[in-house]
Amino acid sequence: MAKESFYSAVLLDHFRHSRNKGELDGADIVRRGHNPRCGDEIEVGLYLQGEKLAQVKFRGRGCSVCMASASMMTEAVTGCSKQEAYHLWEEMRDLFGDGNENDVKHPTNNLQALSVVREYPARQRCVLISWEALRDALRGL
Amino acid sequence: MSESAFLLLENKIADFPLLQSAQHSCLHYLDNAATTQKPASVISAMADCYQSCYAPIHRGLYPLAAAATALYENSRVKLAGFIGAEKSEQIVFTRSTTEAINMVAWGWARNRLQAGDYIWVTRMEHHSNFLPWQRICKLCNAKLRIIELHEDGTLNLDAATELFSKRTRLIALCHVSNVLGGVNPVGALCEQAAALNIPVLVDAAQSVAHIPIDVGVLDCDFLVFSAHKMYGPTGIGALYAKSARLEEMEPLLLGGGMVDEVSDETRSWSAIPARFEAGSPNLADAVGFAAAVDYLGGIGMRRIEAHVDSLTRRAGAALARIDGLRLIAPMTPTSASIISFDMPGIHPHDIAQVLGECGVAVRAGHHCCQPLMHSLGLSATTRASFGVYNRQDDIDALLAAIDRVRRLFA
Repeated sequence: MAKESFYSAVLLDHFRHSRNKGELDGADIVRRGHNPRCGDEIEVGLYLQGEKLAQVKFRGRGCSVCMASASMMTEAVTGCSKQEAYHLWEEMRDLFGDGNENDVKHPTNNLQALSVVREYPARQRCVLISWEALRDALRGL
Repeated sequence: MSESAFLLLENKIADFPLLQSAQHSCLHYLDNAATTQKPASVISAMADCYQSCYAPIHRGLYPLAAAATALYENSRVKLAGFIGAEKSEQIVFTRSTTEAINMVAWGWARNRLQAGDYIWVTRMEHHSNFLPWQRICKLCNAKLRIIELHEDGTLNLDAATELFSKRTRLIALCHVSNVLGGVNPVGALCEQAAALNIPVLVDAAQSVAHIPIDVGVLDCDFLVFSAHKMYGPTGIGALYAKSARLEEMEPLLLGGGMVDEVSDETRSWSAIPARFEAGSPNLADAVGFAAAVDYLGGIGMRRIEAHVDSLTRRAGAALARIDGLRLIAPMTPTSASIISFDMPGIHPHDIAQVLGECGVAVRAGHHCCQPLMHSLGLSATTRASFGVYNRQDDIDALLAAIDRVRRLFA
């Protein structure tokens, strides 16, 4: 049986009631994240005000982890500077990618709900799709 | 209905060490189309080989090497008998079904394919019976033609008007789809094709463990399958072919054991099947493969077919009654061991994850069938597949876990 429940209340809440989900009209830049292995597809749009990300929105389809991660991402980076947002991407990459365990910084905010996914390597890509779209959008600015 | 009234097999779990272990006592293994668990007889046959009869094959002149070679060739004889091949030389050991198909594509079809020719496959093929043909068709300016499906997942042969055209060089199709589960009418197709001298390759990866196969009756030119989906070891499969087809086939891998004479400029291939088995033969896996054949034969393929068919039907009927769940292909009179479904609004990976937490092992994804998924308008499905050790309690656990999925994501 499962160690810690994979589907926490926070994760399910972000899946059922995703924040900042909708059309990306008027975004300063839109980038796409995609996992052909499961058909998950997320588009992330950034709305800038000076150096700050005034609003971050997403649209697309995917599993609960993919959608919840995208929703949490938009909440986490809204209001951040471009550098702060990019730094958050790097932390998530280390957490769910090839990061060295010693360098990994565990999130203290609402992104904590995603930490359980680290125990399920097959689902780690689901977390990162929206973050990779964010990375590409930040690089494209 | 009591369990014994519909299940034809006594409980087989005792034959399978992993399923019997305390660690996996709560496991409901319904991922048999991906790979099956191994009976103790297969595991011990392989261990015995390493412990008491291991030496190089076709190479040593001492008694142990002769005994190991006899063991290897005896495995080939067992395989030939299992599928009704006339001669054991018609069985080539490969690494897998995939390798066997690639051998036929590159070693046989490529040299016979000309611009404008057709190779026919079906919409439901696994990538391994699709990509090799796609590549050689591109290479030879031939055309990969596809038999489309009816709504119910059966082959729409009427729409494949040029299937038996003079341009068709090969028809390659699965016996049972690894997604849809229905049994294709391979016998009738082979008969029609034979009348026009069109060779047929049957991918039996999903049928060989559940349906009796006799290539003498089926009359296909090529039949390919893997050991690991029929309770045997990973890493070994088989290519059966008519002797004339094997004579026409070029070896793909060149090296030791497949050549008689080599000079700076020339070489002469060994006799068949050694010609197609370059490198040191995979003795222990061949022994395990033969032990798997013995295991299936000991139960009887007809009884296995009835057991698995009965489980599949019962599970299919129960799943079809669930609100918010859709079977990808309706149960047909010839369903075999596999049921795919989706639950609109819930991603198959979430379904499989929750099922996994409930101890029910299924597969979710595109099942290496992206052309089929595209035509179904889906990116993935959830698949339950049955084997000899499955029982009613596995179906009950599946249904209970699906109920949990519905409650979690409602």
